[in-house]
Amino acid sequence: MTALFGTPDIAIGMKESVSRLRLFDGPLDLSWRHCATTSDFIADLFALRFQSSRNDYMEVRHSIGYVVNELIENAVKFRAPGEIVIEASMDSECFKLKVSNDVDNENASEFQSLLADITVGDPKDLLIQRIEANAANPDVARSGLGLLTLMSDYGARLAWIFSPADESDRIYLETYASIPIAQTHN
Amino acid sequence: MEIKTDDYRVWIEGSDIFFDGAMRLASSEAGAPVMALANSVLSSNPSIITLNLKDLHFLNSSGINLLAKFTIEVRKHPEVRLVVRGTPDIPWQSKSLPNLKKLHPALVLLMN
Repeated sequence: MTALFGTPDIAIGMKESVSRLRLFDGPLDLSWRHCATTSDFIADLFALRFQSSRNDYMEVRHSIGYVVNELIENAVKFRAPGEIVIEASMDSECFKLKVSNDVDNENASEFQSLLADITVGDPKDLLIQRIEANAANPDVARSGLGLLTLMSDYGARLAWIFSPADESDRIYLETYASIPIAQTHN
Repeated sequence: MEIKTDDYRVWIEGSDIFFDGAMRLASSEAGAPVMALANSVLSSNPSIITLNLKDLHFLNSSGINLLAKFTIEVRKHPEVRLVVRGTPDIPWQSKSLPNLKKLHPALVLLMN
C-alpha cells in the first residue's frame, strides 16, 4: 500500500532534466561526512548560474545546500542499509529535490505518525511548539525540527511517499522538496 | 574552556560564547559538550551572556535546536540578559535566528 504525506503536487516529473546522484552503501561506507560533501557539491552545481550576482549566489547556494543537507542527513540517519538516490532539478522559479532510500517497517510507521503531526498547521507555529516540547522532553528520537525548519525558514514544500520495497520487511521512502528561488538582485 | 573539532570551534571569553566554522551535529548527544560549555557560563550567574555567531557559517537543524534549548534555559533566569550577535551576510542566521526571539522575547538579537 502506498501512503502520501505533505504537498502532493511537487513530485519531480520525468519530463524535466534531472541530475541524479547515487550513493552506494558498500564502497562508500556512508557516513555523516557524506551529507556535507554531497550537499555542498549539489549546491555549487545548481548555484553556478547565479554567479553574476554575489548576493543571489550566496543566498541560492546556501538555501539549496541547507535543504539538501537536511534531507540527506535524515536518509543517512534513518535508512535501512542500502543506497541513497538523490535527484535534483531547477527551473526559473524553484529548486526541486527527491531523496529515495529504504527504511525498515517500524521506522516507517514512527515517521508516518510524526508526519501526520507536522504537516497540518502553520509550520512557523509548529516549529516553535515542537522546540518547546522537545526541550521539555529531550528523549524523543525524532523531533521533526529539521523538516519544520525547512518549511518555516526556507519556504520549503515537502512531500513523502511510502511504498512497498523489494524486500518484504522494508518500505521504499521518497522524500520530495521544493524551494522557491527568487532572483532579488540584478 | 574550548571545544575544537576539524569543522568548528566553540570557546568562552568571560561570559561571551564564541562559535566559529561549520557545525553539523549528528544528534543532540553530539552537541552535549557545547551545551555543557554554555550551561557552565549560565551557572556562573553572569548578568549578561552573549552568543557570538558571526563566524559560524553553517549550523544544521540539530545545532539550531541546541541554540533554542539554551535560550529556553536562559529564559528560566530572568535576571540574565541574553544577547545573540549574528550577521545578515550568513543566510541561515537571518532565516533562523529570529526564532530564538520568539522563544524568549527579552533576548537581544543584534544582526549587524
